[in-house]
Amino acid sequence: MYDQPISEQQSLQLITEMIQKAKKDVHERGTSSILWGSVIGFCGLVAFAERQWNFYIGFDVWLLALVAIVPQIFISVKEARQRNVVTHMQAAMNNVWLVFGLSIFALMFYFNAVPGITERMLLQEGRQVVEREPITGIEVPFRYFIASSSSLLLLLYAIPTLVTGLTFRFKPMIVGAVLCYCFFAASLFTNSKTDLLFSGLAAICNWLIPGLILRSRYTKEKAALDV
Amino acid sequence: MFKDLDPILHSQLRLAIMSLLIGVQEAEFTFLKEKTGATAGNLSVQVQKLKEAGYIEVVKQFKDNYPQTLCKITAKGIDAFAQYVEDLKGYLGRA
Repeated sequence: MYDQPISEQQSLQLITEMIQKAKKDVHERGTSSILWGSVIGFCGLVAFAERQWNFYIGFDVWLLALVAIVPQIFISVKEARQRNVVTHMQAAMNNVWLVFGLSIFALMFYFNAVPGITERMLLQEGRQVVEREPITGIEVPFRYFIASSSSLLLLLYAIPTLVTGLTFRFKPMIVGAVLCYCFFAASLFTNSKTDLLFSGLAAICNWLIPGLILRSRYTKEKAALDV
Repeated sequence: MFKDLDPILHSQLRLAIMSLLIGVQEAEFTFLKEKTGATAGNLSVQVQKLKEAGYIEVVKQFKDNYPQTLCKITAKGIDAFAQYVEDLKGYLGRA
């Protein structure tokens, strides 16, 4: 096939054909998306249920999100081993999700560090904020916290999802991200218990459902190739 | 007056390799073999020619105890490919 001299027209056809072949080789399995959609969705819904129906499962359910890093490492290593080509878009999206992961950790650090640091800085200036019980009039030191912290997480969840959805023109992720922005807007007006429910639902819409759709497509494509 | 087409690129297999690599960040030798349908020997010779011309970078390493050859287009390769397509347009426009 490759020993014949080629005409200019054939050159152009060959270029087009090879570019199409390279494009067609991109198969997303949605494994990571399913993993994180399930884990964050489960954590959000369980945390909401605990607050709603006053029970405790015996440990902080969000620890599961930390545990999920282990299978994610295995998935990433396995996928890297099986992949024999990396497209520019895949490389860019991998970087977007890496930055997202780092930002989540940075935000967790912010949530844990800022209240204590604020309190200490005010004390150094000789000031203290107190809260007064309206009925008894008793004043106690105010415990600092990040107001509506889940809203910030929801905002962050939407960013890489929308970037991925728009880049790959994958509608389920675009819809998921838009819903996530809606949950973010709603969470500004709701209490922290409802915000937990929004977090769980956002993870399901953002990652679990698109991940399942990707998996279904991949399975169908693989079955078609195996026939 | 039309410029001569780059002889390094104006060959079926080398052009196929470059066309595959232009759309990806990097690709394994097995990917190029699968997509071009060429024999390993022929592919290896053409990859070497492209490497010598400075159009692609070839990294040989081990993956799971098996040798792995990664190919990546260089900046010089991108320029040459773009020029080749431009020259091709000139020829096709004349026809």
